[in-house]
Amino acid sequence: MSNDFAQFQDAFFEEAAEHLAIVEEGLLALEQHPQDLELLAKIFRSAHSIKGASGMFGFTALAQFTHKMETLLDLLRNEQKVVTAAIADLLLKSTDCLKSLMEAAKSGVAVDEETVQRLTTELATASALEPQPPAVQEAKPTAAPARSDGQERTYHITWTPPEWLFKRGLDPLQVVKELNGLGELSAVKLDMSRVPDLNLIDPEKCYLSWELQLLTGRDLKSIETAFEFVREDSKLSIEEVRSTESGGHSDERKVSAGSGGIHHGEGSDPKPLGEILVESGVVSPAALEQALAQQKRVGEILVEQKAVTPRQLEQALHTQRQQEVAAQTKKADSTSIRVDTAKIDKLINLVGELVITQSMLSDLGSRFEIKQLPVLLERVAQLERNTREIQERVMGIRMLPIGTAFSRFPRLVRDLSAKAGKKIQLVLSGEETELDKTVIESIGDPLTHLVRNSADHGLEPPEERLDNNKSEVGTIRLNAFHEGGNICITVEDDGRGLNREKIFAKAVKQGMVGENEKLSDDQIWPLIFRPGFSTAEKVTDVSGRGVGMDVVKRNIEALGGTVSIKTVTGKGTTFTLKLPLTLAIIEGMTVRVGQETYIVPLLSILESIQPKEGAIKTVIGKGELINVRGTYLPMIRMYEVFTLQPEHTSPMKAILLILETEGERVAVMVDEILGQQQVVIKSMEQNFRKVEGIAGATILGDGTVGFILDVRGLLEIARHGAPIAA
Amino acid sequence: MSKTALIVDDSPTMRQMVAFTLTNAGFTVVEAEHGKDAVNKASAGGKMDIVVTDLNMPEMDGITLIKELRKLSAFKFTPILMLTTESAIEKKQAGKEAGATGWIVKPFNPEVLLKTIAKVLPA
Repeated sequence: MSNDFAQFQDAFFEEAAEHLAIVEEGLLALEQHPQDLELLAKIFRSAHSIKGASGMFGFTALAQFTHKMETLLDLLRNEQKVVTAAIADLLLKSTDCLKSLMEAAKSGVAVDEETVQRLTTELATASALEPQPPAVQEAKPTAAPARSDGQERTYHITWTPPEWLFKRGLDPLQVVKELNGLGELSAVKLDMSRVPDLNLIDPEKCYLSWELQLLTGRDLKSIETAFEFVREDSKLSIEEVRSTESGGHSDERKVSAGSGGIHHGEGSDPKPLGEILVESGVVSPAALEQALAQQKRVGEILVEQKAVTPRQLEQALHTQRQQEVAAQTKKADSTSIRVDTAKIDKLINLVGELVITQSMLSDLGSRFEIKQLPVLLERVAQLERNTREIQERVMGIRMLPIGTAFSRFPRLVRDLSAKAGKKIQLVLSGEETELDKTVIESIGDPLTHLVRNSADHGLEPPEERLDNNKSEVGTIRLNAFHEGGNICITVEDDGRGLNREKIFAKAVKQGMVGENEKLSDDQIWPLIFRPGFSTAEKVTDVSGRGVGMDVVKRNIEALGGTVSIKTVTGKGTTFTLKLPLTLAIIEGMTVRVGQETYIVPLLSILESIQPKEGAIKTVIGKGELINVRGTYLPMIRMYEVFTLQPEHTSPMKAILLILETEGERVAVMVDEILGQQQVVIKSMEQNFRKVEGIAGATILGDGTVGFILDVRGLLEIARHGAPIAA
Repeated sequence: MSKTALIVDDSPTMRQMVAFTLTNAGFTVVEAEHGKDAVNKASAGGKMDIVVTDLNMPEMDGITLIKELRKLSAFKFTPILMLTTESAIEKKQAGKEAGATGWIVKPFNPEVLLKTIAKVLPA
């Protein structure tokens, strides 16, 4: 039934996530201000909204768990309970649990039932008041389906509604109409005896009573629903009139008004055959189970009947599984985004302007004379302005404030400081800085790791800080700001700074650098991003597992960004993430090979060189290598990879681009560097098919298609030396 | 002439769902985010044939909203349905005292929503 609402599920998850964030933030703030009733009311409302809406989609586990939280929150906001540290902690844990339940509802992953159960119990215990009040819960009206056994009965109904009936916007006519819809109404008698003298009449009061006869196949329950909103306040009696055979002796089932617990023989869902047999004692439950176990699946039966071969069945099952997986992935992939209406209005405005410019141009074009050339140029310039602005605005639609990614950190830092026994304050700034939704979603994990790292390794324990004339409380600053076409996010701590000697010693031990190598600071710091590098003496719960920093770097680079480190011994460390505003547009260098133009992502270009004679060596099994200031890099001739007719076949005349990705370098040989420009990435997979070494395509200024090089893919090619079949 | 419904809920999702159901049933829908918003929209004029309101909302809750609406002459006898997750007696009682015509207990499906509206909506 609720299927009609299913289309709103995505909207629900989005809204629920917002409510969850409110709950979490609120709970954290509550620890500082346990008396803030307004805050409690806000938290309660958010929990309540989650509960209400999750029920609408049939997420029962979610609704039930939220209900438990809500009960406790309700007691807190009504000041029947006081916010203690334990309660705040329990509620925070429950919020985490709620998150995983939400995730479960969204993607169908399993939840940790044990945790859910444990927290449910804890919440219930915390919600208990002394002395325990008796459970005042209204007996839930069991929604019995209208019994339609086809047998028609006649009911005699007398109804005296409350005088204030009209004041609640209720209309007695509606009730009579609804009754009429249930069957055949007869002998409708209006009792006006209570209507007072004309001068005493209050026109807003109801003085009327009714007496009706209803012939219907429906049961008592359905008749009562007609009076649903007035039953408790009305004088109502519904009596079944038995057929005269019973000799008029009073065999009437009488229902008096206002009585809460009316019990009738309720029609229930038909039971499975097996259950009925067990209940009547014909078969034992064990026998039933055995019989059920012998039931075969469609596939097995078909195989037995030789309608399909086992192999065909296996294939069909495989297809089924794939479809299931596909359906699930599809579900998880589609996301929606909420956009400020002001942004859309502005966009519509701009499109309006574009239309005007276009009509002015076509008007000009229809009767163009050469002397109007300046006007034409002006119009074209206007068109360019419009286009650029629309481009910016459309990109803006995908932009969200980074605050959503920051919001998880107050909680994280609170937990970390408790675990590590350090005093840490978190300062957030630049939360309103906007960037692409996809980027926001992807930087959460790297940022988390950096913050953990600062809390665990960067900041010193309180005693050590005091010894060094520092405030006992360590500070971690998260800041976001725009810089050029990029966004910068900094994670800054005022801790002990990176330890040069330790990092060097560790790197030597790991065989990353030679013992006698002289390294500058800028060469030392990036070592912590190498896989397997960790200087923490002991592996803690928080960080120091030797995975993480390399993952941070890899994730940021996958987004087309960079990570840099600034550190001063004893003063602190700053990690700066530099990210593109969006993933849809990249800054690229256009290069030419023969007649073709390719785009190389600017971020991956280290330098371009023209090699000297003798710098290139061929190593069997490794292809060509080039000596760049003492380091040998694999060299790729682009024309070989893409089977082109180049201008130069000698590296000494061509140009070599040194590209880097994920710490590996490769030299790529091209004919000429054309320039630098922003390009919009078009997916190859969607429009054509995946091609090794190509990350995507774009439309160049002259209307032709240019390919964007996939540096990672080129490295693979360099390693295997397999040219691509065109 | 299509009937007009005022939908009051602080949850955009809930609002959308109710609005969707009612629009499909031929209603013209006016949405409000909370009680205050609803009172403003109600006093701005324009006839409403039915009001469907949530109870727990910021700014002004549903019960207060119902009381406020009943003070407006245009809403004195307008059917007002409250959406409630609590089937608890106190909520129903508070709603009735404030002047609520009826209630719909969440979770509900579109069918129940339309049925309940039909029950209280004068033809």
